[in-house]
Amino acid sequence: MTASDPAGTAMWATVWKLLRLRLRININSFRHSRTRTKIFTTLGLLGLLSFAVVIFLLSWEMLRFLRSPQLSRYTTIDSAALLQAITPLVMTGLFFGILFTSFGVLLQALYLAGDMDFLLAAPVPMRAVFISKLTQAILPNLGLFALFGLPVLYGLGASEGYNFLYYPLVLVVISALTFAAAGAAALLVMAVVRIMRPRRAAEILGFIGATAGIICSQLGNLSQTLGHRAGNPPALLGGASFVALRLETPWLPLNWAGQSLMDLGAGQWLSGLLLLALTIGWTSGLFWLSLVFAERLYYAGWAGMQVVMRRSGKLAVGSRFRGAEGNLSWPERFLAAPIRAIMQKDFTLLRRDLRNLTQLISPLIIGAALTFSFLRRGAGAFTGGTELPSAFMQSFQPFLSFENAAIALFVGWLLLGRMAGMSFSREGRNFWVLKASPISPRQLLAAKFLGAYLPGICAGYLFLIATSLVHRPLPGQLLFMAVVIGASLAALNSILISFGVAGANFTWDDPRRMNAGGIGCLGQIVSLLFLPFSLLLFAGPVLMAVFLNLPPGYGYAAGLLLGVSGSLAGMLVPLLLVQSRVQRLDES
Amino acid sequence: MSLIETTGLVKRYGDKLAVDDVSFDVRAGEIFGFLGPNGAGKTTTIKIIVGLLRPSAGSVKVGGYDVQLQPLAAKAASGYVPDTPNLYAKLTGRELLRFVGDLYNLDRKTTVHRTEDLLHMFDLTNAADDTIDSYSHGMQQKTALAAALMHDPKVLVLDEPTVGLDPKSARLIKDILRQMADRGTAVFLSTHILEIAERMCDRIGIIDRGRLIAVGTIEELRSLGKSGQSSLEDIFLGLTGGAEEAEIAEILK
Repeated sequence: MTASDPAGTAMWATVWKLLRLRLRININSFRHSRTRTKIFTTLGLLGLLSFAVVIFLLSWEMLRFLRSPQLSRYTTIDSAALLQAITPLVMTGLFFGILFTSFGVLLQALYLAGDMDFLLAAPVPMRAVFISKLTQAILPNLGLFALFGLPVLYGLGASEGYNFLYYPLVLVVISALTFAAAGAAALLVMAVVRIMRPRRAAEILGFIGATAGIICSQLGNLSQTLGHRAGNPPALLGGASFVALRLETPWLPLNWAGQSLMDLGAGQWLSGLLLLALTIGWTSGLFWLSLVFAERLYYAGWAGMQVVMRRSGKLAVGSRFRGAEGNLSWPERFLAAPIRAIMQKDFTLLRRDLRNLTQLISPLIIGAALTFSFLRRGAGAFTGGTELPSAFMQSFQPFLSFENAAIALFVGWLLLGRMAGMSFSREGRNFWVLKASPISPRQLLAAKFLGAYLPGICAGYLFLIATSLVHRPLPGQLLFMAVVIGASLAALNSILISFGVAGANFTWDDPRRMNAGGIGCLGQIVSLLFLPFSLLLFAGPVLMAVFLNLPPGYGYAAGLLLGVSGSLAGMLVPLLLVQSRVQRLDES
Repeated sequence: MSLIETTGLVKRYGDKLAVDDVSFDVRAGEIFGFLGPNGAGKTTTIKIIVGLLRPSAGSVKVGGYDVQLQPLAAKAASGYVPDTPNLYAKLTGRELLRFVGDLYNLDRKTTVHRTEDLLHMFDLTNAADDTIDSYSHGMQQKTALAAALMHDPKVLVLDEPTVGLDPKSARLIKDILRQMADRGTAVFLSTHILEIAERMCDRIGIIDRGRLIAVGTIEELRSLGKSGQSSLEDIFLGLTGGAEEAEIAEILK
């Protein structure tokens, strides 16, 4: 940059330079990645492109179907109005989608990436830095949106027979909306960072994102359980139509974008151009204002003020973490101080670090959804709707409790997969604290075992209690199932911990990369295979007793003997195998 | 009495020899400075001493215990402060110290009293109930040192203990180390600040490219250097080789 350069040219040249730098970093990352990663990335991109083509064809056909006269015979939907609402709906979705997704990316780019000081200290225009950061935040999300939204909009254009101008203008309008959304997201980031530390904001965002994702994925299953609209396309269409028509109001600026495209596509030039001008106007204004404010707030240190405010919010944890003086509680009498300390530390961090909680949220929600659908099926699930004689069905009654146990074990396994499988990796770069301390591998394994087992067994027992309230098993059966669950989960826990030790990774920065290797995945598979085996050891003798007409007590006793022995072996052998490895962890 | 004793220490990473036949000892009541250029093998040696790394050959004794054969006893005798204080970010300073007290099997009363004393000594009492991720680098460094002192170790191993500290905290740490040594603790510290090494350390070891090239008091090291090299900086650069003035001028031209 020289003094003779006009300021604007220098700024755009810098933006281009910074974007090229980002591109270079991405190319280098790809070039230096493993061959396997390169292949998967290339295949993934090709897959996404194919997916976009499929969506285009599907939306084309779908939109033609919406206009078909046959549809109106079966539903009361105003398909013409619905078609009119699609473009504004997609545009509104785009705006809010980019707003929310850019929030996370900008939080990372502005406050967590650590390159802002470096860039702002260089002799480059500050605006160029902000524009390049916003563009970097937008591009991946825009790409993702283009993959799903563009085929729908182009499919709509093709099915409606819009003129050629519609297609490039879709890109222009999408870009305008995207920049406006990203600008608003930048301001939102600064407002949030004003009240909490960026890393905490990122943790909360990750937690909300993960929870929302899992809840959405489970909603489909639950709606099927509830027998709602999932299996009822006319009702579904009716609901979509209702939402779309509610949103279609001329007073919403977001609707101007979609309406302008449709008007221009249909050759209504006056209204189309007017709405387009309005759209470009408000989006550019919002983007520019956001940019100017964001720059000023960042430079003035407004968003950094929370560092001063932080001090007021102290954690009243000293007494909770451990009572100062007083009598020993029962776990303190039985467990050595280092084991207790590690368990207590793990539980505290699990509760306090949202990144850990994010890892646990999926098994918990899946478990809750499973419990709900299982309970909804009710007591007649096993025997209901059958024409078989009741005496025959009565003989199957013992297995009903095994069904409860199997699902309780599955819920426990889901939780253990995260708790036990990652118990060592979760230490991350802090592992040196444990490694430099005088703790034996046996103590460390015991602490990690108990730290994962207790929440796992609590989840399993909660499920057992919930299902027992519906199925009302005999007290003896309930006790038997409690042993099945307790013993089997102990073995599953050991297997998962052992694989966790073998594949321990202490160098992660992003908790999602804790189990980067394939060993953790192998642990999940092996433990999942052990689950039916363990159940068979308990249930096999009971089954045999029924078929051999022996008293059921014999079957249960033999089942307990076999099952508990198998589980004990499953619990001890893996831990013994990895005990020496624990001593050498983090030495590579 | 030697509290740290290394004999023929070797550490290989594939073909690379990070530590090559390093032998020295640190006596009770002594502050031993460990100097060397970047990548010379200082941190690797330190990690072997505190039991974080297994040596490819050789042995280390800490407090009279072989780190490989009696790791728990050796670790119980030592306190360690790493160069980067990675501490549990979501624990508070007070919780971390109590956790460390439990790891070293201190009784409850001692843990509580020692925690409060150390928090007070390092001027961390006001921040004791804040989570560590809100601490500055200097505060984290002081917390790491407090954690290393929790069990009153016989051997204290510190990797760059004064990096990122303000002058007051740096002075505090220097005073603590001197007092610890006066009470019979063996203090082993690596540093790049030669002034600290010159003023604080009773003996100094210089490592370069994995080999221990000099060990002794400042006077003994002076006798190893060229005549006219009176400061530790001159001795250090003379032994390890530094950029010549002409070369610097050429680059800055």
